[in-house]
Amino acid sequence: MVSKKVTVVNAMGFHMRPATSFAGAMGKYPCDIKLRVGGKDVNAKSLMNIIAACIKCGTEVEVICDGERETEALAEATGMIESGLGE
Amino acid sequence: MEKGIGASKGYGIGKVVVYRPADLHYTPKTGCDPETEKKRLADALGRFLERNERLRERVRETAGDAAAEIITGHIMMLQDPYMSSEIEKQIDEGVCAESAVESVCDLFIGMFSSVDDEMTRQRATDVSDIKQEMLGLLLGVRTVDLTDLPKDTVLVARELTPSMTACIDRECVVGFVTELGSKTSHAAILARAMEIPAVLSVENALEKYADGQLVVVDGVRGEVVASPEEDTVARYMQLRLDFNAARAENAKFVGKETRTADGRRVELFANIGTPEDAENVLSNDGEGVGLFRTEFLFMDRSAMPSENEQFEAYKKALLILKGKPVIIRTLDIGGDKEIPYLGMEKEQNPFLGFRAIRYCLHNPEMYRAQLRALLRASAYGDLRIMIPLVTGVDELRQVRAMVAELMTELDERAIPYRKDIPIGVMIETPAAVLVADRLAKEADFFSIGTNDLTGYTMAVDRGNAKVAYLYSAFSPAVLRSIRHVIETARAAGIPVGMCGEAAADPALIPLLVAFGLDEFSVTPTSVLATRKEISRWSKAEADRIAETVLSLDTEKQVVAELGKYI
Repeated sequence: MVSKKVTVVNAMGFHMRPATSFAGAMGKYPCDIKLRVGGKDVNAKSLMNIIAACIKCGTEVEVICDGERETEALAEATGMIESGLGE
Repeated sequence: MEKGIGASKGYGIGKVVVYRPADLHYTPKTGCDPETEKKRLADALGRFLERNERLRERVRETAGDAAAEIITGHIMMLQDPYMSSEIEKQIDEGVCAESAVESVCDLFIGMFSSVDDEMTRQRATDVSDIKQEMLGLLLGVRTVDLTDLPKDTVLVARELTPSMTACIDRECVVGFVTELGSKTSHAAILARAMEIPAVLSVENALEKYADGQLVVVDGVRGEVVASPEEDTVARYMQLRLDFNAARAENAKFVGKETRTADGRRVELFANIGTPEDAENVLSNDGEGVGLFRTEFLFMDRSAMPSENEQFEAYKKALLILKGKPVIIRTLDIGGDKEIPYLGMEKEQNPFLGFRAIRYCLHNPEMYRAQLRALLRASAYGDLRIMIPLVTGVDELRQVRAMVAELMTELDERAIPYRKDIPIGVMIETPAAVLVADRLAKEADFFSIGTNDLTGYTMAVDRGNAKVAYLYSAFSPAVLRSIRHVIETARAAGIPVGMCGEAAADPALIPLLVAFGLDEFSVTPTSVLATRKEISRWSKAEADRIAETVLSLDTEKQVVAELGKYI
């Protein structure tokens, strides 16, 4: 298992568009990917779970990957969040 | 005539088609064969995907990539691993596909609607949209074919869902009227992207309008006129013609720098009242914010907002504007803006009384919280502080002293902020005009607030019908004040802007160009029109007009003279 903490930097946080591209990118990996936000775990491959978590700009998120290709998944996930989720 | 929310500007004249959602009633069944139900679900899902992928391409062509992403979101929501596993779990228990889809969708609708966040609540509409479409597919119900509407259709619906909006051909639909929806709903965004006038939130619209009825959709005022008389139709046709011509003309100015005809660069900012408005500044191509009113944070609530809440709001606006200048005005209450929990006493003369900076300096704890929130937010962009209702240098000095103290405090706590944060004053009292030279030595910028400046200079209450005729920014006294302030600022080498309604007035713009105004701040929707007006004038031509105008004796003469050039 690998994990890393990052901060959400894009102004609107994980709203529909960024959440869609994020969950889509995570879906390509075979490992489990979770976002730990304020003590709760969110399935990073589930757009619905991400939206329900209502993750705003400035929030610290721990990305936790476990399983096949976990290092690669972690790098892409944290890279996407840190670069503002394409916004 | 019916009032609603004008969510997409323009004028639509056409015949009503009432869109009633299809009858999706069914009898929930249990004890079903899971394999059969899964097959039915897979079939419906296949058709859903096929339809939506086609729709997405169509939306991409008509409304652009951003709008098409909404459809991608729908596809992904339904393919969501969590959502599909929940649906399958229910089917495995013997529930029919319809019930499984409906209960899982309802779970998410409930979850999203209960969140205290407008953006997330909007997602409930998307899920509900998906639910309707899937139920329709499972039940084999045919819905009204929105892709084949007659020409000049005004579509009347309970709600505009993204998938409905996406089916619509803008050659045929000239307006939308709905019972639900707000300015920030997806439907509103799509309607604006397609440039179809829309009036949302019209009560009982489905009962009020009948198929084939002639209606006018006035997206500018947010009104719907049913069965209009011939002369009303003619009036709206003219408005539509003018509006469409102006829109086409303004579109040429998107993405351009704001320059006068002889190439002088000026800044064109927008006025906002909430952090969310910052999005409107960008979508209307504003170059920054010239006036961010902070009263919204304090109004419609029962207690003072905390420093943190303020910090978050200011930061949000700065982040949305990505480094563009944002001039934030500190609390301007009193006068006509009353806030119950502040316990302000009734005054004989509120406009001349305990308001704005006067109130703030008298309540230093409250004011410090706002200034500290502003300083902390200044680490996130180009924030500038503006003080309202200044009458002389001592007010500015007091604010500067407070800011200096707060900076030391923040340094001790190692909290980042912008060290050279500009502090400017609003010029909106005759006193400030008369001591503009002194203020210019200590302020980092000026912003002329023409609304109050006109009222105070002419000593007139614009709300009093008997004297309202005196309220005009074209009065020689007001024009002289404006010229004096701009000249004084330029002589002192500080930037000077204008954030009152007058900055967007095409009749006044040549004078402002002649005087040398550096920055215009207007409502977001006036940005492009103002950029166009500014581009019409060279300094030499504007100077000629200014010379004539300033030699005139009365407001009537000024208005008549300037009227020649609009």
